[in-house]
Amino acid sequence: MKKKLPLSLQDSLFIGFCATLLVALTSMLRLKLGISGHSMFLMSFFYLICYGVLGRFGSMIACGGIAGLVAMALGVGKGGPMILLKFILPAIAMDLVALLLPLTLSLHWRCMILGIVGCMAWAVKVALSNVLAGMAFDVVLIQWGASVLKGGFFATLGALLVPPVLHRLKAHDLLHRDKF
Amino acid sequence: MWVSCSRWRLFVRRCWSRECQETMLCALSLFFVCILSACAFVLPVDLLLPLAAINGFLVLHGLARRGSIMGVVKLGVIQLTITLSLYLLLYGVGHLAQGAVVVGRIMLATIPGWWLCITAAPERIGEVLSAFLPSKWAFVVAASLSLLPYMAEEVREIYQIQCLRGARITPKALRNPKNWPELVYCVLFPVLIQLLKLSRQMAVAAQSRHFGKSTRVTHWHSPRDKK
Repeated sequence: MKKKLPLSLQDSLFIGFCATLLVALTSMLRLKLGISGHSMFLMSFFYLICYGVLGRFGSMIACGGIAGLVAMALGVGKGGPMILLKFILPAIAMDLVALLLPLTLSLHWRCMILGIVGCMAWAVKVALSNVLAGMAFDVVLIQWGASVLKGGFFATLGALLVPPVLHRLKAHDLLHRDKF
Repeated sequence: MWVSCSRWRLFVRRCWSRECQETMLCALSLFFVCILSACAFVLPVDLLLPLAAINGFLVLHGLARRGSIMGVVKLGVIQLTITLSLYLLLYGVGHLAQGAVVVGRIMLATIPGWWLCITAAPERIGEVLSAFLPSKWAFVVAASLSLLPYMAEEVREIYQIQCLRGARITPKALRNPKNWPELVYCVLFPVLIQLLKLSRQMAVAAQSRHFGKSTRVTHWHSPRDKK
């Protein structure tokens, strides 16, 4: 992974569009499954697409930040300013862990690990607001574990779809990277 | 002296235009919402009642502006059921009130956000946020927000065409997570290709108009807003 910080305008726009699409799809496909965590499916998918397409440190954080801002501006979800945390916390965790992962690891495994890490960070946001509200620690821990289990399933599902999509994009000659 | 006075008046009038007022109002409401949300977590239990009264006014104002509160109510009911049942299992009946206070705090933190979404125009929120961002990212956020209807239309068209082709991506079929990969290959993949092309075109268009070359950033004012 290259560690160049400034992104070109084209890359920034791509990140912005991905983030907006993530927010739009999350609000369009509000599935009435009755289980929380299905938003992790689209979140892990789009963050990892940004990671795969650009391969730079900061791409996922930028995507998460813009998704949070756009969601806040469009009024998606019910959190208000808290929604910014919901989008940016998984992105920060995923970007930091992506720095530590060796590039020799296959893309499938990297995506899966990053998806699960993102899901754990996503659950931290819920736990954080519960702790701030003064909820008992045991209850917070149980709810955090339940969120990780539920969100982890969806995050892994989303993450596993990324490598084939990246390979297809490469086949269409739309990426300027030789190796993921 | 008179010249400088009239110049000053002109300057004030220009600064305090209608757009400027709306932006200021939006910035203030964003600040107000952040404070109220923080108060819900920080204030002691005795002061939660006045905060609930303020939130009640916000709910009434939001409902008067034709906002739907069903989402917030559903969130509250689900949160209340889960938390109270956990408190009942772990600590017994004595601590149920404590659990209810916790859920109340979470709801009090949620309501201001819901109110902001109903009362503030999205483009104004975007403008306020742009004040804190570098010009490149402000441009990206503004471009993404303005292209959202185009993207939504594109997604809808691709989705409908793929449904006609017989892809298992109808809302009923999507209840089964087995069909989710089909949604990615049939809808998200073509949309990603479109986004890559669109970002390339847009970057070329902006750079050919000397985007990011000058240190003084200029903004476009739509003539529609001046009416």
